[in-house]
Amino acid sequence: MIQQTLADGLVLGGIYALSAVGFSLIFGVLHVINLSHGILVLIGAYLALTFSRMLQIDPLLTVPLVMAVLFVIGYAYQRFLIQYAVDRSRLGSMLLTFGVALMLQNIMIWVFSPDMKNITPSYAFVSFHIAGLTFDAVRVSALAASLVLLGCLAALLKYSPLGRVIRATAQQTLAARLCGVNVRHVYALTFAVSAAFAGAAGIVIGIILPFSPADESMWTLNAFVVVVLGGIGSPAGALIGGLLLGLASTLTAQYIGPAFPNVTMFMLLVLMLLVRPNGLLGNAFSASR
Amino acid sequence: MKPYAPLFVLLCALLLAAAPGVLPPFYVRVGQITLYSAALGTAWAIPGGFAGYGSFGNAAFIGVGAFAAGLTENQFASLSPPLALLLGLGAGAAACAILSAAIAYPILRLRGTFFAIAMLGVSHVCSELNNNVDALQGSLGLNFPAVTMANLAPEAFFYELYLIAGLAVLCVAWLIQRSRFGAGLLAIREDEDTARMLGVPTERYKRIAFFVSAVLTGLLGVIYAHSLGYITTDSVYRDDTNLNLVVFSLLGGMGTLFGPAIGAFLLVFVTQVVLGRLLDFHLFATGLLLVILVLAAPSGILGFVRTRTRRRSAMAPAE
Repeated sequence: MIQQTLADGLVLGGIYALSAVGFSLIFGVLHVINLSHGILVLIGAYLALTFSRMLQIDPLLTVPLVMAVLFVIGYAYQRFLIQYAVDRSRLGSMLLTFGVALMLQNIMIWVFSPDMKNITPSYAFVSFHIAGLTFDAVRVSALAASLVLLGCLAALLKYSPLGRVIRATAQQTLAARLCGVNVRHVYALTFAVSAAFAGAAGIVIGIILPFSPADESMWTLNAFVVVVLGGIGSPAGALIGGLLLGLASTLTAQYIGPAFPNVTMFMLLVLMLLVRPNGLLGNAFSASR
Repeated sequence: MKPYAPLFVLLCALLLAAAPGVLPPFYVRVGQITLYSAALGTAWAIPGGFAGYGSFGNAAFIGVGAFAAGLTENQFASLSPPLALLLGLGAGAAACAILSAAIAYPILRLRGTFFAIAMLGVSHVCSELNNNVDALQGSLGLNFPAVTMANLAPEAFFYELYLIAGLAVLCVAWLIQRSRFGAGLLAIREDEDTARMLGVPTERYKRIAFFVSAVLTGLLGVIYAHSLGYITTDSVYRDDTNLNLVVFSLLGGMGTLFGPAIGAFLLVFVTQVVLGRLLDFHLFATGLLLVILVLAAPSGILGFVRTRTRRRSAMAPAE
């Protein structure tokens, strides 16, 4: 029983981690709390639903397409809207993203209706057993996709020229600018990468859970909790935070009551903010400010 | 604060107090929401605007106040209406006082965004606990005894009650702003570490501001619950309240005395009266308003006006 709960928690945690990594990157590099993150996740889910129906392919195969679309959206969103608020005040950019989230949520209700939707791949009801534990094929493929994508992002940040520039900007914006980095361009690229990964997370979420336009705040809050638990600005931090959150919520639902995962989640959040505001893997540049 | 300002406020209050006599009931109801929002916004701004500790979770105090009042009043069902209301106000204030005193020390160690989001967490935890612990009757709902007077329509009664409460909150905020304590809060907002170094008791000041704001918000929550007559968790712990309180200050002018009230008047007017018939369009319009606001007038309407007048007269009356 406990093993099954732990396994479920880890699967859920992997998905939380993927859904939070974009939020974490934006927070770490731009210092913007992107309250429209949940909307980007949902856009990914709806796009995957549309594409997989239109092209008659497996939802996981739409990942490159969805990521490309969200990359473009993210770049434009940061360059033409958020950039104007970033320089003024922290609260301003946060409220701006909230305003955009409200608008997009309303548009999604018009376009896709407020009903619950889900993406059903062909292997939806397959499950298999390993060492006495039951795994659904859907959840396992979702987890695998999450881990692969997180690995890709970590590699991108660590080894590619773009990743190096992003990390440099995050650590010392002024110094990066002095070295010839076009900071605005890097900000927009960071946002674009984050949006793309949010979209990918949307696909994975869409496969395992039903979703509706009203869910966006839940995914934004989840991302925030994951980032606070794990640490800001790194895929590894998001992974640790996500796994912790996944374990905490399944364990609470199993042993305390199905109504209490959110209570545990926010208690963990507040506790973590108090004890270690940088998160478990926090770096110096992400200090509480 | 200019010398004619108190007179002006008094005049406005008298005009507002006479309004239910001439307005149709729908507008009296809108007036209730406006005054309630203005009062909540002003209470929010005591730590939020003056000291820079903007909370995203003041609905926690509305909910805790309302439920404490309801549960207490239902224990003493035989009391006469005015006494029941007073008892409820006392219970709500006490509950909020205890809650805010308990969380003030840990949560005020956080700053800026982290404080705001931690407060959102507090609001959600209170809401979920209230909803899921059976003794608190959050999901079942609570009925409130009718407290209106016989010779006054219910909507007019609550309108006047909100008006009195709003003036009281404004008065508290004004007294704080002009005191040494208020100057200390301002110093905390500008630079907390320097203020502390220069001998401002920052910890104590922050805690008092937080405490005062929580108790005032709780009292308003009690009145709100009575005006609804029946509440569940969802009707008092509302995330849109959490957000709107920030927007009021931002719209009117962060850190000013009248800013939150002006912002509340404007926002409620726009959303309830102008957009009242366009429910499908509601979220979109609110979002658009926020976006325009942040881009066009980042320091609010009062800030906008002040920079204009300052440019014209070249004298800078520092607040």
